[in-house]
Amino acid sequence: MKKKVAYVCIDSLKEMKTIIPAFFIATLVGVTLEFYLPDEIAFAVLGKSPILSIPLAAVIGIVLPIPRYATYPIAFSLFQKGASIGTIFALLSGEVILGSPDRDIMEFKYFGWKAFVSRLILCTAFVIVGSFVVEVLLW
Amino acid sequence: MVTDILYLTLERFLRFLPILVAAIVVAKVLRLYISEDKIGTLLKGERRNIMGASLLGLVTPGPLAPYLPLLKVLQVGGLSLSVVAAFITSQTLVGPFRAFLEVDMFGLGFFIFRVAVSFVIAISVGVSFQLLNKHITPKIPSSQKKVNHK
Repeated sequence: MKKKVAYVCIDSLKEMKTIIPAFFIATLVGVTLEFYLPDEIAFAVLGKSPILSIPLAAVIGIVLPIPRYATYPIAFSLFQKGASIGTIFALLSGEVILGSPDRDIMEFKYFGWKAFVSRLILCTAFVIVGSFVVEVLLW
Repeated sequence: MVTDILYLTLERFLRFLPILVAAIVVAKVLRLYISEDKIGTLLKGERRNIMGASLLGLVTPGPLAPYLPLLKVLQVGGLSLSVVAAFITSQTLVGPFRAFLEVDMFGLGFFIFRVAVSFVIAISVGVSFQLLNKHITPKIPSSQKKVNHK
């Protein structure tokens, strides 16, 4: 039991060392966006028309080169700015479609490029459809 | 302006910090009890069950990378690629780590919807893989195939 507790504590601390600074930076980026991004632009791009904002958020999520936990403060700031709930769903879900380079290379190597590309395309398409469903249901 | 940004950043960061710490610790505890071997054993029983694999992916903690070698071994051993795709999709879309932050930032309703929709997305990806199976399954060299001696 003691060993297990020690493992959890040490491993958690190790992870915190990388996650917490990244989370702080992401919070800073989010708040800066909140201050400098004009409301009209944020609303026009991310909140006015889900038909435009959901696919855009999914694509932004996919190409955003930040860890998944760091997406949350940015998504929260965009939500405060008026981004729709479907857009937030697309951003958070899109962010994990492509993972870290090591994970993607492993997946690519193990299951082949056809499976990798197919999963990428299918996931993107279904995340966009799912985001529209969330947008309608949580409106 | 800069002071305001820093103040709000700190305020927000300190608000989310305890949740972040709790999320990390809970994810580690879950990881301790849900090992790769356990997931492997459960997936073996889900050879053709996309729904089961999607459900398993939803509750599997931690990053995906440690599970990939195991998934490859299971796939060579006969696990359908559609099941692998469903598991990868749901495992990446949802995780215990995310639950804490999501509930706090966007509410419980959003999190429940995200889990439910992610589950459906994973099943959809799995079913699509099954339909496209012929075209996307990599050829496994005969030397790697598991021979069943009975």
